[in-house]
Amino acid sequence: MALSSHAISNLVRRTRDFTERPRFAKGNVELWANLLIISWAAAFMLWQGVGFAITVSTVFAIWAILAVSLNLVVGYTGLLSVGHIGFFGIGAYAMAILSSDASYEQLRTEAIPTFGWPFFAALPISVVLAGLVAVVVGVAFNRFRDDIYVLVSFGFAVIAFNLFLNWRPLTRGAFGIHEIARPEIGGWTLSGPFEFLVLALVFLGIVVLISWFIVTSSFGRVLRAIREDEQAIEVFGYQTAHYKLAIWVISAMMAGLAGALFGSWTSFIDPNSFVLLESILLVSIVILGGLATIWGSILGAMAFVMLEEGMRFLPFLPPEFIGQARQVVLGILLVLLMLFRPQGLVGRFRL
Amino acid sequence: MNIFSWQRIAALGLLAVLVVAAVGCGEAASDEPFRIGVMESVTGPGETYGTVAVQSKEMAVAEINAAGGINGRMLELVVEDSKCNAQDAITAYTKLTDVDGVKIILGTSCSGAMLGAAPLAERDGVIMFSGLATNPDIAEAGDYIFRTSLSDATVGVDTGNVLWADGIRRLATISESTDYAEGVRRTTAEHFQSLGGEIVAEERYASDTTDFRTQLEKLLGANPDALHIAAQSEFTGGTIIKQVRELGYDGPIYADVVPIGTTALEIAGDAATGVKAITPDLDPANAKAQEVLANFKDRYDYVTLPWFLGSAYDNVYIAAECLKKTGDDQDADGFRDCMYEITWSGTIGDDYSFDEKGEVVGLSNAVLEVLPTAERTEENGGYKVLGPAPSG
Repeated sequence: MALSSHAISNLVRRTRDFTERPRFAKGNVELWANLLIISWAAAFMLWQGVGFAITVSTVFAIWAILAVSLNLVVGYTGLLSVGHIGFFGIGAYAMAILSSDASYEQLRTEAIPTFGWPFFAALPISVVLAGLVAVVVGVAFNRFRDDIYVLVSFGFAVIAFNLFLNWRPLTRGAFGIHEIARPEIGGWTLSGPFEFLVLALVFLGIVVLISWFIVTSSFGRVLRAIREDEQAIEVFGYQTAHYKLAIWVISAMMAGLAGALFGSWTSFIDPNSFVLLESILLVSIVILGGLATIWGSILGAMAFVMLEEGMRFLPFLPPEFIGQARQVVLGILLVLLMLFRPQGLVGRFRL
Repeated sequence: MNIFSWQRIAALGLLAVLVVAAVGCGEAASDEPFRIGVMESVTGPGETYGTVAVQSKEMAVAEINAAGGINGRMLELVVEDSKCNAQDAITAYTKLTDVDGVKIILGTSCSGAMLGAAPLAERDGVIMFSGLATNPDIAEAGDYIFRTSLSDATVGVDTGNVLWADGIRRLATISESTDYAEGVRRTTAEHFQSLGGEIVAEERYASDTTDFRTQLEKLLGANPDALHIAAQSEFTGGTIIKQVRELGYDGPIYADVVPIGTTALEIAGDAATGVKAITPDLDPANAKAQEVLANFKDRYDYVTLPWFLGSAYDNVYIAAECLKKTGDDQDADGFRDCMYEITWSGTIGDDYSFDEKGEVVGLSNAVLEVLPTAERTEENGGYKVLGPAPSG
């Protein structure tokens, strides 16, 4: 394979000239996007009441974990996956089955195996399980790239949803699973919404730290090189398949973590929460925030959750159309954002 | 890093706190309207049900207010969308209780959303009162959770009784993979078997299926006395009836309410004639019910899901009655006690009340039979009421 020296130097420049840090001084748009979203979010939340702010923040934390983890695959490595919600669901169902109270009456109608484990015992298993599934799926997916990758990951999301819906002896199908355990540390139950928010933010922090460590390491540099030119980096002797599989599994485990948190937070899950549409929304968040930037994914999740929940406060809508109108406004806002900031709020790359 | 901008953010946050503190000191006057929440799935999979419920409730409130309100105080609804899933139900619930400060919530139409928010309502001591959610699990959801909708379990038990009374001994079932349809199938099958019947074949399908011939062939191959259809979307319900008749099956067909809906009957055409459905239905002799339907038609120019419409409508009047008693829309405990004591006659039936689980008692399912195409009109909905479902 012939590689021009220009191509190589281009590759090196684009993968090396990169620091994972918010650059406030560089470019007014970024600065204003950051300022606007954060100040609006803070004012909005505090204005509306503490309980609601806590709930919305918890939703944000869970979606931010998902967005950051997906960005590792989509943004940094350039594998456009729309199947991420499947791992989210696997984490949630693992948490539900492992931790649901087996003596709970509602679960007897269609008996499923439940174990009644505490949250912190079920959590690592949920994460590992999502990772194991990701290994199997990832080995198969490594054969594909670009647009085909979108299709096969789409297939994965559909398969996962149908398993949740139809594997009734395990998932209770459309009935969903109740009484998922709340986190507990040494007899102190984190049942209050605020305690749970703190826990979710701690996990978000851990995920961000791990992601930051990955993308600033040499491992991260190879990932970016794969995004720019996979064949070129192979010429240098890198086994790109291994790198792609590794980041895919890490990302899936983070999604599994988000799923486990989600299941525990709602204490009831059914397959409706893991439909393909949620996966598309997740990809939108990543693109909205900016590809290949952790900070952007956090900001994107914040902007998205704020937009969606902020729509609840549009005062001029008649009650009959309130739901539909919100969806339309949200859609228009997303289109406008993409028109004027195709690289996302703080991103530097386009899809 | 621009430190200055962070200071500005902090200042903004502080300002917001001060404003909230200043605003949060208002005091409610006695002639202010009663505010209650409405949480329905007006987008997402349960859209039709949620929209009808919201419109029906809006109509009831308009009537109450036009007639002078409750003890002179107006009634005001705060409507939120719960999108048929647990996450949005939880955010909608916190928005209603925390931001709008309501203690009484009418809704929600989707069982999944109901089960997501119910544990919170139970923890906070907030009333959730649904006219549409039918999942049997809701019975166990708690002390503050009520509904006028009949649990899938009662539909299933009544269906089992009707099947047995009609001399059916070997039954084949086909059901949609949703909690409602699956719940109807399960309780029907369980009760039918407990009576001594046999389920000779069962099939399930996903909501977006369009061709059922293979599955139906398998069911018919087991040589059943009758076929039971549990569907949640009218399209699939109608298509199954049409395709099973095309395959040459001429035995009896039983169903839940969905396969005899307007759209389903249009799809099935003449194939649907004689299909029996076991479902709660508005009594044609109930003048109040007919009046509500006529008013709804006047106001919104269409009518669909008449029983659910009536159920949502009754919920508002029951809530109004209890508010009249307690005189305080913040008194959820008083409202709850009122609910346990109340006996109500309204659109969906006479003299019904609530048992200790918050389940409605005193309502029964009716047996409906689809009319031949020539006799179907907009008024009769394409079916006639054979009578209440036999009990025991």
